Amino acid sequence: MMFDIFREKVFAKAKEKGFEDYELYYSAGDSFSVRVFDGEIAEYKNSASEGAGFRGTYKGKMGYAYTEKLDEALIDQLLANAADNATVIEDEDVEKLYPGDPSYPECITYNPALNNVTADQKIQWALDMEAYAKSLDSRVKMADYCTIYTNEGSIAMANSHGLNLDAKYNTAYAYLIARVEENGITKSGYNFWVGRDFAAFDYKKLVKEAVDMAISYLGAESIPTGEYPIIFTNRSAREIFGVFTSVFIAEMGQKGFSLLNKSRLGEKIAAANITLRDDGIHPSSFDNKGFDAEGVATQQKAIIENGELKTLLYNTKAAAKDGVKSTGNAAKQGFGGAITTSPINFYLQPGEKSYQDIIAGVSSGVIITELAGLHSGANAVSGDFSFSADGFLVENGKIVKPVEQITVAGNFFDMLKNITTVGSDLEFEGNIGMPSLLVQGLAVAGM
Amino acid sequence: MLSKQLVQDVLSAAIATGGDMAEIFVENTVKDSITMVNKQVEKANWGVDAGLGLRIIFGTSAVYAYTNNTSRDSLMKLAKDASAAVKASIKGEAGTTQVIANMQEVKFADSMLISPEKIGKKAIADALRASALASYEYDPLITQTFGYYGHSVQDVLIANTMGVWAEDSRITTRVGLQAVASEGDEKQTGGKNPGAKGGYEFIESLDFAAIGREAAKTAVTALKADLCPSGRMPVVIDNGFGGVIFHEACAHSLEATSVAKKASVFTDKMGQQIANPLVNAVDDGTIQGEWGSLNIDDEGGKTRRNILIENGILKSFMVDYLNGLKMGMPSTGSARRQNYRYAPTSRMTNTYILPGSDKPEAIISDTPYGLYAKQMGGGSVDPASGDFNFAVTEAYMIRGGKIAEPVRGATLIGKGHEVLMDIDRVADNFAAEQGVCGSISGGVPTNVGQPMIRVKEMTVGGRV
Repeated sequence: MMFDIFREKVFAKAKEKGFEDYELYYSAGDSFSVRVFDGEIAEYKNSASEGAGFRGTYKGKMGYAYTEKLDEALIDQLLANAADNATVIEDEDVEKLYPGDPSYPECITYNPALNNVTADQKIQWALDMEAYAKSLDSRVKMADYCTIYTNEGSIAMANSHGLNLDAKYNTAYAYLIARVEENGITKSGYNFWVGRDFAAFDYKKLVKEAVDMAISYLGAESIPTGEYPIIFTNRSAREIFGVFTSVFIAEMGQKGFSLLNKSRLGEKIAAANITLRDDGIHPSSFDNKGFDAEGVATQQKAIIENGELKTLLYNTKAAAKDGVKSTGNAAKQGFGGAITTSPINFYLQPGEKSYQDIIAGVSSGVIITELAGLHSGANAVSGDFSFSADGFLVENGKIVKPVEQITVAGNFFDMLKNITTVGSDLEFEGNIGMPSLLVQGLAVAGM
Repeated sequence: MLSKQLVQDVLSAAIATGGDMAEIFVENTVKDSITMVNKQVEKANWGVDAGLGLRIIFGTSAVYAYTNNTSRDSLMKLAKDASAAVKASIKGEAGTTQVIANMQEVKFADSMLISPEKIGKKAIADALRASALASYEYDPLITQTFGYYGHSVQDVLIANTMGVWAEDSRITTRVGLQAVASEGDEKQTGGKNPGAKGGYEFIESLDFAAIGREAAKTAVTALKADLCPSGRMPVVIDNGFGGVIFHEACAHSLEATSVAKKASVFTDKMGQQIANPLVNAVDDGTIQGEWGSLNIDDEGGKTRRNILIENGILKSFMVDYLNGLKMGMPSTGSARRQNYRYAPTSRMTNTYILPGSDKPEAIISDTPYGLYAKQMGGGSVDPASGDFNFAVTEAYMIRGGKIAEPVRGATLIGKGHEVLMDIDRVADNFAAEQGVCGSISGGVPTNVGQPMIRVKEMTVGGRV
């Protein structure tokens, strides 16, 4: 069933059932991916999917229900469950539907030319990536998860207060893990490319960087346990900041799940060289948004400016509780999820020094290139973390050897204050962008 | 869910121009959830996930397509497009595979004695609240709690051109409680997340007050704990979620997903000693009512009890149909996927180190110095290198053969093939716990489990 027709039927019945107001959030998308292995297609994948999430006020509380089947026969069940869900809500802070803003930032997230690229061309790139990886070095054992992925889709939201928004997007993505082997030891390096125009896709660059990385890890050893200055590459910096985005979310602080809350605004929580931003639109990001999951216009804003906490991230409910306006950071996990809060383009303002210059300035330290155990090794409430890590040992401004079987541990809030250098090499992956960083005094466990 | 005629027409169209096997996975899943912050229900949701995934296997390659429009027109188009992709890939060799018309129908369903729908969300919220209240009562340092309830009924139909027609109704229920203990700027958390096959009867069987107290105990212990020391030391890992060490250090690397392409440290190790002779391990999808169990796997095959390691010798991998073709091995009933959006691959179900004969007290008293890891968080592994990690959420130092002061914030790391050989004690106090395992075919419910074990030396990643 077409979304417009489904929406009209749902809205008419919602009114009849006694919902005071109501909203539907719809998303639809197509995706294509091809993964090759050993010169053959290992998996070729095509999809078409859609779904609609309903929320509405019933007896003063917000009720949710969703369906992937836009089937008229399901509407009664959808609304009955939404009403039932509303009646169990005990939270006294009321969630409200948003009527919309007078204007929204212009946001281009769709490139029609991307659709002209054929499946055959994408398959060829995947095959070329694999073949090129194997041609670069005899130690390349395999190109794993060698994949080209494209998608396109749309979202639409409408409510009984007159909100009516839509957006469409498409993206292309390429990925591989180069696995190299020497003396029976396997080391891996991954790389990705994301874009909206294959004209900017240099598969040789992508592959070469992954292979070079894997080879650079050969011969890695653990290092003695101790405290070291740590250089995070922009990749590992993204990983670590990505784990702790929740500490900047206002509703987490309101509920006691973050140490940051309204009372700490204006406080110096980071080194003076730290400016952490969350912008609705960033020229290097492929996750730009003109409106959030409640239909609030997105903003350009500093969370931390020169070390000082300037704002937290808000949806409308959390904002009402703190007596401020939403920052346009409402989010939903899929069309069916409840309203939560999430950063849009969360990034650290880059500094002056290149990654190479940062290394050159370190007399003894460790470069962390990759972290593992991100979902388990952190306590987002206290800020404590301990992650498995790989990287390199630096002595007298030079990389001396690759390092494995170590952990790096510390506390995120302490780390914010101990970042002594912010690099110039800002790079986005998804909605997180980071340059490389030099941090003093983290604990490394090794031999 | 779909008529036999439509299924056969879709399968026939899928292999009309080539391909050795075609399979459909039709799903209709109804999910219910509640989240409670502190003592109040904050959110409740209900939803339907429904769609169909079509897979065509040709040689050792696969085309996968999915949609949630299951009308005849949409499915026939899906099959034709997928078939065209196969034809393009095999470059013109015509298909000879036929659909076996006489499909052997099998039908399973998990038992559910009491539907949560009949009980209503208010009663379930009250149960969650009881565990939150018990957390607060356990210690005044508890300042927040987060409760969760999730219930899912996944009805599936799996049919293929080899004559499989299998239906299953998979019913899971899970609850969870995280407690936060605070003092000044310090905050630490603890949690318990039991789950099982079945409905409200599982909720009735739980002691919610005990769940609340246990979550609170972990949080309060961590709050009062010193920072964990770093370095190499003996580690005693307790039962229950301690089994995450085997899940990460070994079992992921025994999945055909990585073994078939020789991207596992255990490739070509069948029949060899890969663990200390004290170690016996299974992956058992057949245990009645367990969170990780399945009547049939996601290719429609019966699940089994697979002995992975016997007296330290590698006995079996976990194998799905497609990877089995590459390895020359039959499926072990291990194909799984989160939902119709994923092609199936080999995954774990209930994966356990079996009990030995040692006594836990003896293991502790025979350890002069080391770490006692009592509660674990999650972890991860790179099967190609064997590098694994997992987090410890409640731990104590062992000094002079006695459990001493609590320590917090540790991650344990190692290489799977090394750590398995270093397991030098296995106790008799087996217990299992529930988790959700993420991999290339999505998140699936899995149990981890073991008795208390000791690893003679591991890298402990603490903060000092």
